Amino acid sequence: MRKLSYSIESPAVPPRQRNWWVYLLLAVVCALNVLPYLWVVLTGFMDGASASAPTPQWLFTPSLEAFQFLIVDKGILKNFFNSVIVSFSSTFLSVTIGMFCAYALARYEFVGRDDVSFWVLTNRMMPPVAVLIPIFVIFQTVGLLDSLIGLIILYTAMQLPFVVWMLTGYFRDIPRRYEESAMVDGDTWFAAFRKVTLPVMMPSITATAIFVMILSWNEFAFATFLTSNNAKTMPPAVMAYSIGADIRWNVLGAAVVLITAPIILFVLLLQRQFISGLSQGVVRK
Amino acid sequence: MAEIQIDSLIKQFGAFRAVTDVNIKVKDGEFVFLLGPSGCGKTTTLRMIAGLEMPSSGRIAIGERNVTFLRPRHRNVGMVFQDYGLYRHLTVFGNIAYPLEVRRFGRKEIDAKVKAVAHTMQITDVLQRKPDQLSAGQLQRVAIARMLVRDADVFLMDEPMSHLDAQLRGQMRAELRHIQKSVGVTTIFVTHDQLEAMTMADRIIVMKNGEMLQFATPREIFERPATEFVATFVGEPQMNVFDVTLVNENGSIIAKTRDFNIPLQQDWVRRWGLEKRLDSPLRLGVRPENISVSEKADAACAIPAELFSFEPTGAENLYVLQCGDVTITTRSSTTETAGLSKQDGSRLYAGFDPNWIYLFEPGSGRTIAQALASRPDTTEN
Repeated sequence: MRKLSYSIESPAVPPRQRNWWVYLLLAVVCALNVLPYLWVVLTGFMDGASASAPTPQWLFTPSLEAFQFLIVDKGILKNFFNSVIVSFSSTFLSVTIGMFCAYALARYEFVGRDDVSFWVLTNRMMPPVAVLIPIFVIFQTVGLLDSLIGLIILYTAMQLPFVVWMLTGYFRDIPRRYEESAMVDGDTWFAAFRKVTLPVMMPSITATAIFVMILSWNEFAFATFLTSNNAKTMPPAVMAYSIGADIRWNVLGAAVVLITAPIILFVLLLQRQFISGLSQGVVRK
Repeated sequence: MAEIQIDSLIKQFGAFRAVTDVNIKVKDGEFVFLLGPSGCGKTTTLRMIAGLEMPSSGRIAIGERNVTFLRPRHRNVGMVFQDYGLYRHLTVFGNIAYPLEVRRFGRKEIDAKVKAVAHTMQITDVLQRKPDQLSAGQLQRVAIARMLVRDADVFLMDEPMSHLDAQLRGQMRAELRHIQKSVGVTTIFVTHDQLEAMTMADRIIVMKNGEMLQFATPREIFERPATEFVATFVGEPQMNVFDVTLVNENGSIIAKTRDFNIPLQQDWVRRWGLEKRLDSPLRLGVRPENISVSEKADAACAIPAELFSFEPTGAENLYVLQCGDVTITTRSSTTETAGLSKQDGSRLYAGFDPNWIYLFEPGSGRTIAQALASRPDTTEN
């Protein structure tokens, strides 16, 4: 037998994984993420005096003073429903329109296809604030200032590039065979798309829709400049009611609770679909 | 059930001609194979019959009906795709029922038809599963069931067995041939596997670079190949083909390479008019099973050779021999060659059966002399 040049031998038992430091790291990251939010939420349940006290207080008597001010005195629920209408409508429109656009980019060869898809991407490169004033002037001219329709149109246009880019990738991952075999089986192109491609795409579309919904819900700059009384959405409303001559911290905290609660609930409910949608196309069989 | 007639079909992708002038007439109930290497246009031809690809010119008729530029849904063809094309959001039952639902069959009728076809394909116990819970063999059966469930005029299959392992493929070959004959629907099957085509087909269309080289029964393709390409593509191991020149030696015509001579049958030489081709380069072909090997030189085995490699396959032994510049593969039964040396480099003698020698034209590859013992098929056309 030949002598081996290396002498280390296998231990008797398989090595045990010791990953406690991973959990420690995760705990630190979670704490860093959650603590500020927790603090803001707590502030929302303080009264004006304890919220603006010079030394922060962890123990206090909860009060709904700030919520009462926002909901009863200021009628923030109207802004809340404005936000709901605007973000749901713009999500629906941008996902529907973007889906067909993405499908065309993923499936068909046509002159200038790459140019179109690059142009779509460049729309996201420009900082939105750069077009704030032109859009204000346009909205003023066509009478869309301070209207929900105006915001819906604007948000749809803003979110479209994102939807198109996400969905194009997902559509490319779905083999054309699905539609082809449905068409041979006797379907029209649209029926094949609706009955075969869409159900397979559903997780990805849901994930995209959630993303877009969150972006629309949180949009601040345009909403501030283009709306005043009628169509004001949550983000500018929060600022208007809590920041005046000085900052009313408890009102700000309560507003934060109102504006984030729906999103958190929404994501918790659709979490599983969201994650499976995001990982689709990444994980292959 | 219908016949298929294809006239001067051409498909052009930009400057590239994927399919050039295909003319086929498939009889009702026939099982026809499109055979060729990848990229030869066979799948494109099939997709044009299905309507998934529109021809650049030509005409396709299914049972007298012109379908050349018709949408797929109006053609009434059933198809199995290479990767099956099963819908992963539906159960096996849903997949098979899909074409019936599209055609608005009643629920009872769908149920009965799906059950019947599932029984034929032996997949009754997986009807409620989703495609990703099935094995490759079962997926294939589901895809075939989905094709069978309809009363299609024509069945089209695009390399449906390429994802199966060798053993399963052997099983499916017999089963598919049996099903096709009992259903009796005209079927076109695309494959690059010559064994599949030879074992299952009524007739085979051999394609290369978008052109149809030959359209004939498997036996005729094997015995009377139209070109050198067809001759080497069909048969395993493939036909030995090498350069020769015909010379007249003492009144009889023989084939000559640099290192050895091959005696030819003189009446065969006369029948194919080979006297006119003396002294010009030709390609000579002989199948591995028509070469005998021996340890001693004699009249039948006169070509000196050196053993390059020995490959036993069980019932048969393959000898790869080096005869001068020419490498030839032989195939003979194990019992016949039991006494022969199997050591690389040993001296052996090879002899070609003069009844099974082919001659091809260099360049065009056209066959200029079919083997003496081959018989033309008289039953066709």
